Amino acid sequence: MMPMRLDDFARLLDTHGADPARWPPGAIPAARALLERSATARGLQAEARVLDEALRDSLPGPAPEALARMRANVARAVARAPRPAAPERGGLLHWLRPWLPAGCGALVTLAVCGFWLSRMPQPAPEEVLGAPRMLAMMEETPE
Amino acid sequence: MPNILTLSLRPLIAWEASIAERSSPAPGAAAPLARDLSEAEDATLLGWAAAGDRRAFDALAARHLPLLYRVALRVTGQPAEAEEVAQEAMLRLWQNAAKFDPARAQLGTWLYRITANLAIDRARRARFQPLAEAEEALDPAPGPEAALDARQRRALLAAALEELPPRQRAALALSYDQGLSGAEAAAALSVSTRALEGLLRRARRFLAARLRGEGE
Repeated sequence: MMPMRLDDFARLLDTHGADPARWPPGAIPAARALLERSATARGLQAEARVLDEALRDSLPGPAPEALARMRANVARAVARAPRPAAPERGGLLHWLRPWLPAGCGALVTLAVCGFWLSRMPQPAPEEVLGAPRMLAMMEETPE
Repeated sequence: MPNILTLSLRPLIAWEASIAERSSPAPGAAAPLARDLSEAEDATLLGWAAAGDRRAFDALAARHLPLLYRVALRVTGQPAEAEEVAQEAMLRLWQNAAKFDPARAQLGTWLYRITANLAIDRARRARFQPLAEAEEALDPAPGPEAALDARQRRALLAAALEELPPRQRAALALSYDQGLSGAEAAAALSVSTRALEGLLRRARRFLAARLRGEGE
C-alpha cells in the first residue's frame, strides 16, 4: 500500500467529503493510515465534516403540502395529456438506417431521376432539326 | 352454399372465437385496479404507465417528486421554481414513457438528468435565491451561542452557494444531497467522472473557504 500524502488526502476530501463511506474503496486503507498518524489530516477531515453538515442542513425536503400540490398538478396534467406515444418504427428502413452511408437518399433520388429521363420517348432522327437540314431548308426558301 | 342465417351469424361467431383464443393475462398484465403499485419496481410502473395506466404514473410521481424537488431546489434556490422543475421533469417522463428502455438507461439517472438540465437553465435565467425557509425550519438552537454560530454558518453558506455556477450546484445536489455514485452523477450531468470530480472539488473548496471567512 502506497502511503497517502497530505495533499492527496486534501484532494480526496475536496472531492468526496469527510465520510469514508463515500471515498473510493481503493483509497480508504491509505487514507485511514494517514488519519492515524497525522493530526493535520484529522483536522482537514473535521473541517470537511463541518461543510458536509452545513450542506446537509441547508437543504429542506418539500413540505407535505408542497408535495401534495406537485403530485396533484402532475396528475392533472397527465389526465389531460394523450397517452404516451410509442416509438416510431419505419419498417425495413428503420433497421437499415444504421448501415446506410450518409447521402444515400440523395444518390437514390439521382438514380431514379436518371432512369426516368432515360425512359422518356426520344424524337425520331428525322424530326430533329439538325444543322444540315436547316441549311437545306434555307437553300429551298425563295428569296 | 351458405344461407342468409349463416352469413348473418358469421361476424358474431368470429368475434366469439377471437375472445376464446385470447390467452390469459400474464401476471404483470393484471387489471389496472388490481395492480400492487406500492410494491412494483420503477420499471414495472413505467411499463404500466406507458400502456396508459395513470395511477401507476402517479405512484411513480409520489416516489420521485421529493428527490427531484431537492435537486431543483439546490440548483435554483427557489422553492416555487423547484416545484415547477420537478413537475416538468415528471411530465417529460410521461411523454417519453413508451420510448423509455430500462435496459439502456436507469430511470433515476434519466430523471435526474432532465431535472438538473431544467434547473440549470432556470438558474441561469433567474438569480439564485438563498434558502431562507431552510434557515427558519432547521434551527435546533441548543444554546444562544451555538444558535448564533449555526445561523451565521448557514448565512455564509447560502451566500457562497449563490455565487457558485449552477453546474457546480447541480454536482453537489446529485453527489452529496442525493448520494449518487460518481458514475451516476456524471451520467446525469452528461460529463465524465473526472469532470464531475473537478466540479465537486471547485465547489467544495470555494464553500469551505467562505465558511472559514476567506475570499469575501
